[in-house]
Amino acid sequence: MTRSMRGSAAIVGIGQTPYYKRGTSPDAEMKLALRAIVSACDDAGIDPRDVDGFVSYGSEHNTGQKLVPGLGTRELRFGALAWTHGGGIPAAVGIAAAAIHAGQADVVAVYRAMAEGSNQRLRVAVTQNDTPAQFLVNGIDMVMQRSAMRSRRMIEVDGVPAETLETIARVSYYHAQNNSGAVGHGRMLTHEQYAGSRFISEPYHLFDCSRENDGAAALILVSADRARDLKQKPAYVLSVPMGAGADGGSREDNHEPYTSVGMIGLAKRMWAESGYGPADVDVAQIYENFTGMAVQSIIDHGFCTAQTAGDFVTFDNLIAPSGSLPINTSGGNIADGFIHGMGSMVEAVRQIRGTSTNQVPGAKLSMMAGGPGDSMTSTGLFGAFETL
Amino acid sequence: MSAVQRIRGGIGADEEYWLAIERGEFRISRCRHCKSWMWPANFRCGKCGSWDIDWEPVEPIGTIYTWTRNHAVSEALAERQADLPYVTLLVELPQAGGARVAGVLEGDETALKIGAQVRGRILPPSDKAKGYGSVVWSIESDAA
Ligand SMILES: [Zn+2]
Repeated sequence: MTRSMRGSAAIVGIGQTPYYKRGTSPDAEMKLALRAIVSACDDAGIDPRDVDGFVSYGSEHNTGQKLVPGLGTRELRFGALAWTHGGGIPAAVGIAAAAIHAGQADVVAVYRAMAEGSNQRLRVAVTQNDTPAQFLVNGIDMVMQRSAMRSRRMIEVDGVPAETLETIARVSYYHAQNNSGAVGHGRMLTHEQYAGSRFISEPYHLFDCSRENDGAAALILVSADRARDLKQKPAYVLSVPMGAGADGGSREDNHEPYTSVGMIGLAKRMWAESGYGPADVDVAQIYENFTGMAVQSIIDHGFCTAQTAGDFVTFDNLIAPSGSLPINTSGGNIADGFIHGMGSMVEAVRQIRGTSTNQVPGAKLSMMAGGPGDSMTSTGLFGAFETL
Repeated sequence: MSAVQRIRGGIGADEEYWLAIERGEFRISRCRHCKSWMWPANFRCGKCGSWDIDWEPVEPIGTIYTWTRNHAVSEALAERQADLPYVTLLVELPQAGGARVAGVLEGDETALKIGAQVRGRILPPSDKAKGYGSVVWSIESDAA
């Protein structure tokens, strides 16, 4: 028998503060974390005092133990932090599900809170002491420039059309027009605006890059048994693999294959454990720190190949409700808002509930790919009851 | 040991690389036992389990594996602000098992493309390089 926690836990609560322009949050970062978690508990119909597990990722400072007094936690039974940055998002959900599956906790919050006023700027806070000397000495900081170099080779050597980058950006802005809370709401991105925007790190234009926000988002997970009796339609955790392959991990851009964003092996495991494949996915949130990395994430997951990316990664194919794979349906990190990618996880759950502002009709299988290119990353497939 | 405050992002196995650069030498690490080139440097060879690492002199010649032209830098690279735009590279070193090292391009950019041959020049420690010595690369015109 194959060991698996497929379907044993479910996301039953989601909560989110508004996205505030970076540095303008009216609340301290800890308060944002509390607001998101309490909001997710209200959504689930669970007393915040009953949350007994806390999981986050990246550089989260609002640890479980700090949240205990404000939440009135009866007993903190489980706490963990998934390694790396945006790559740790589905992994954090997986850690929570594993804790529930193993009987270590009953109600687990997965959350991320960021506020410049209480913390440092995201870019600094996230990558502080995490960029190797080999890069910093040579005028390269951790994420943007290294991602740009990877996308350059994806385009020139693998043959992925450069237009796919613009497509990701324009799909995100298109979806943001129906989402009144999105940072990009009311501002459609045209081809002319994209093409006319300045280069940041070639081939990335300004619009290829996600922007930082203040804010917080949280999920509440419980066992599948308990989920059935709660208020919301559960989003069952089907598979949330994390990791890095034998030629991956911290190799300072000496990983193989170089243009991969570390998702090839993860996707294989996810399809195997869940019993589904790329063609079955109804809707996907593809973490996009930079558009080119999202394109490669789509390729790594097997939705298309480098050779067919020009046909698959098109505006019509990626928009809701009509595309074959609507992505980033709230506007994503680029046009909804960026609290370190956690907003995308909330949107993945909304699609299963049927409450997205860009709802894919009847969506049952909802995917969330974690941060592409992190030295360790993760991806996740979530489903409605019928998918179990 | 160098007096320079070392950057903490890596695993800290590349001190010999920087000390060699300060002596004007370009060296890449290699497993003494199985002879695998090891890049980035590590404390143990994951291929054969050996803890014995050699630092072999390598001629600083390679090919451009990929590149970007930077038009903006983060606060972490404030020293480079005045150089914008500048080109950074990943340079592949066939003579060192295909190891890829990061670097800045100097000189004529006309022949800049993936696959172009580049030659490295060692610079003494500078503020721009965070107090480290470094290798900057230029395109070999006859090979381009
Ligand atoms: Zn060895």
